[in-house]
Amino acid sequence: MATKPTRREFLRDAAVVAGGAALAGALPAVTANAQGAKAPEAKIGSQLIGKLEGPELVLDAAKWPKKFAEAPMLADMVKAGKLPPVEKRVPDEPMVVKPLQSIGRYGGTWRRGFTGPGDSENGNRIVSTDKILFWDYTGTKVMPCVAKEWKQSDDGKSVTISLRKGMKWSDGAPFTANDFVFWYEEVYLNKDLVPTRHPDFMANGKSGAIRKVDDATVVFEFQDPNFLFVDILAGSTAIGGGQATQAQGGRSMGAYMPAHYIKQYLPKFSSKEEVEKKAKAAGFDGWVSYIKNRWDWGLNPELPVLTPWKTVSPINTPTWVLERNPYYMGVDTAGNQLPYIDRISMTLAENLEVLNLRAIAGQYDLQERHTALNKLPVFLENRAKGGYDVRLDPALNGSDATLQTNQAYEADPEIAKWLHTSDFRRALSMGIDRDQLNETFWVGVGTPGSVAPAESLPYSPGPDWRKKWSTLDVKQANALLDKIGLSKKDGEGYRLRTDGKGRLRLELQTSAGAFVPHTQIAEMIKEQWKKIGIQADVKEMERSLFFTRAASNEHQIALWANDGSEVLFLFPRHALPLDPIQALLGTPIARWFASNGAQGKGPKDPRMISALELYRSANGKKTQERYKIAQDIWKILVDEQYSIGTVGLSPATMGVRIVSNKLGNIPSRQTNAQHARTPCSSHPTTFFYKA
Amino acid sequence: MLAYLLRRLGLAVLTVWAVSVLSFVVIQLPPGDYISSYIAQMTASGSFVSQQEAEALRQQYGLDKPIWVQYMRWMGMVMQGNFGMALEWHRPVSEVIGDRLWLTMAVSGAAILLTWLLALPIGIYSAVRQYSVGDYVATFIGFIGLAVPSFMLALVLMYLGFTLFNMNIGGLFSDEMAQAPWSWAKAWDLIKHLPLPAAILGLAGTAQLIRIMRANLLDELRRPYVVTARARGLGEWRLILKYPVRVALNPFASTIGYLLPYVVSGSIIVSLVLSLPTVGPLLLRALIAQDMFLAGTIVLLLGVLTVIGTLLSDILLMWIDPRIRLEGRK
Repeated sequence: MATKPTRREFLRDAAVVAGGAALAGALPAVTANAQGAKAPEAKIGSQLIGKLEGPELVLDAAKWPKKFAEAPMLADMVKAGKLPPVEKRVPDEPMVVKPLQSIGRYGGTWRRGFTGPGDSENGNRIVSTDKILFWDYTGTKVMPCVAKEWKQSDDGKSVTISLRKGMKWSDGAPFTANDFVFWYEEVYLNKDLVPTRHPDFMANGKSGAIRKVDDATVVFEFQDPNFLFVDILAGSTAIGGGQATQAQGGRSMGAYMPAHYIKQYLPKFSSKEEVEKKAKAAGFDGWVSYIKNRWDWGLNPELPVLTPWKTVSPINTPTWVLERNPYYMGVDTAGNQLPYIDRISMTLAENLEVLNLRAIAGQYDLQERHTALNKLPVFLENRAKGGYDVRLDPALNGSDATLQTNQAYEADPEIAKWLHTSDFRRALSMGIDRDQLNETFWVGVGTPGSVAPAESLPYSPGPDWRKKWSTLDVKQANALLDKIGLSKKDGEGYRLRTDGKGRLRLELQTSAGAFVPHTQIAEMIKEQWKKIGIQADVKEMERSLFFTRAASNEHQIALWANDGSEVLFLFPRHALPLDPIQALLGTPIARWFASNGAQGKGPKDPRMISALELYRSANGKKTQERYKIAQDIWKILVDEQYSIGTVGLSPATMGVRIVSNKLGNIPSRQTNAQHARTPCSSHPTTFFYKA
Repeated sequence: MLAYLLRRLGLAVLTVWAVSVLSFVVIQLPPGDYISSYIAQMTASGSFVSQQEAEALRQQYGLDKPIWVQYMRWMGMVMQGNFGMALEWHRPVSEVIGDRLWLTMAVSGAAILLTWLLALPIGIYSAVRQYSVGDYVATFIGFIGLAVPSFMLALVLMYLGFTLFNMNIGGLFSDEMAQAPWSWAKAWDLIKHLPLPAAILGLAGTAQLIRIMRANLLDELRRPYVVTARARGLGEWRLILKYPVRVALNPFASTIGYLLPYVVSGSIIVSLVLSLPTVGPLLLRALIAQDMFLAGTIVLLLGVLTVIGTLLSDILLMWIDPRIRLEGRK
């Protein structure tokens, strides 16, 4: 697409918005994004960023409503005798949500786009209120969710969860502590289903356990202190992520399961022949693959769930349709059972251009996935015609396009030597013109800087660390490169290798099909590096090949976001090499760390070692100490520039929100983060159609 | 004749088998497997999988076994008419393809029909009225059709459709019909959505066929038998349609071998752009996700269709071209 004319129109449109907002005296609070951006677009872009707001939970039981109301479609079913009355369905201790603006009205179908069975997160992130604990709308405070309340023991070795009395599965069966024990004993400890224990459910490498106290109380227990575990339960983790997310796509986690339903597919409760027969009859090659299909909420409409909506037309058909769960535990402050919206209908888009075009045409009511930031001008241009508005939700991670240098690279000793040299990495970082990248690929709404997360977070090492080694300084970069022994250049001004094998060429590996156009960004960095005499070769590959190469330690520098790293201990893999499944900073190091030194290869770099040791010590520490540890880790990571940040704190990943004008209770800005399960921390159950 | 047919059939089976081996090997060639691409996909969409989960899945799908074991397993299943599970879709391959095969045939069938309906008369006209204004106009439009990549045409038309006519974007059904069971209303909905993709798909092919038809017919028009027939007073149009056109049809018949696989795969890029629920995007997706049962089955299907198509075009050629028929008699 030609950027010039659309950019101009974008400016015009955005100027109108800015003017209108200023006139109305309602100029939205401009956050971190305004700083450091000089071009006019940046200021205008940030007009689309509103105030962080969202619905709140009413925690004081005295203020909970005593009488309940329900959606017309359910009232009809009650009349017909197909459902018990609403008082019998909502728990005695419901989750009471105070909607953002007003009490809503029932009805309507929420239209969205999705890209196929691999896009399960599209639905998961809307129904995620089946987590045990959750975060409030700011993403900073842990809240009860499926749990009514929780208590961590003083020694940090256990977390006691009290369930909501009278809570039920979507088929009306009671939800109790037995469902936790069933998951733990029959699924988690079943070697056929979970061959190895999960690190999210461990402290100091020792596995945790679940114990039932009574029908409404369960305890998570550890042998060593695990103060982090409350955050893990609230995070988007394997144990705390909720049944909908963690039992999907062949996975087996989520801390609880509908025992009364799943039992029939386990050999223990009938016989091996019986379950195998069932599986074969359904076309599966064995009971293991069948049961994994049966507990997948996107695939199996019969599965009892706790989520506000449940699947009626599965995800592997052209339209993924969800419908309200008549037993959902949430109500608004007036006692109306949530959700307000009857159905969610997601239509399959075979490619992203079609999805974006449909969004522009107003065929989606609320869509924050796959809507690309670089299409912002076109989105704005068609607002009136499509009957929607555009909101930007900047994320809190430092960099959407991060140059991850492989700290375990070996294939070319000369390149390896430089990649493992601090001053070389710093020079590369200072050779990048982040403002130009921001203007071109983030339409000016990102924030240039290092990999350090947003300053608003307690994990942030402080404002200086966003800039450290991370602003354009060609002179200093050249001086550093000369100093470390790369002073010889060829006729075209590129630096030469010290082993006499010609020009020093760095390979930049990028992946096709990420949320951000990494390959084009890499091409621009390649141009910028000419000024410091560095030759880069950009190699784009299909995304699975990208990760396969990284797993076999073949890449030199790989481009990927560092999303999720803003809450370091809940999703560290994009900041530190410690999960072998994805460690762009060096798979052998991650294998070494994960296996306690039994496999892989440890780093030689003493500061990398201390960063990893700091990380390992965090589980047993209390909150404030953990923040301190995270800050210390970030200081090391930024100073060493293992990962070179470019532009971040931006809405590029799931932060461009297309909102129909018909919808109410929509926050003008929401927390955009992995752990907050965006948009779920805004409680989509309270969204409604105004008329 | 019967022996010849049997020999051909035997060869066809052998060819299909070779295709199956080759396709399985080709699909296995890229590094990694379904699980690695599954992880990559989950990551790209903001979810994640742990190493433990990945290992368990690999075992479950038998991806830890050597490639020939996987192939034998697959062939064993195919022999029983079971094409395996489409890993990404969590549904049997036959079901996943089945849904889309008919739609693909509808789209490609419409495209082929349109191509022929346009190309035949225009080609004949261009040849008979060589260097006339009409010939030049047809040629000009034809060349444009040939030169513009169909995916770009699709994008442009889709954008125009959206900005000028407020048309439904992409897909073969309107939203409310996509989920509905088959009915007359749904069929009508499909027919209403067909012209755009059919025109886009057909345009490039039309230009090509016009040129072929024109060139072939020009050759034939100068043959002595035409001159003779004309000298004996046969009506001009009847003469042209009955003899030279029939001979010039040869390329139409001989391309049927490729037509059948085209019905399934020819529209991949256009289908992707227009978001059509056909087999094309499915194949691309299966290859990217390294979903070998699904990709293998589609490639196998293409192989079988090519073999059948070639057989059909041989028979058809015998029917329309007397020279081939006479040769066969010897």
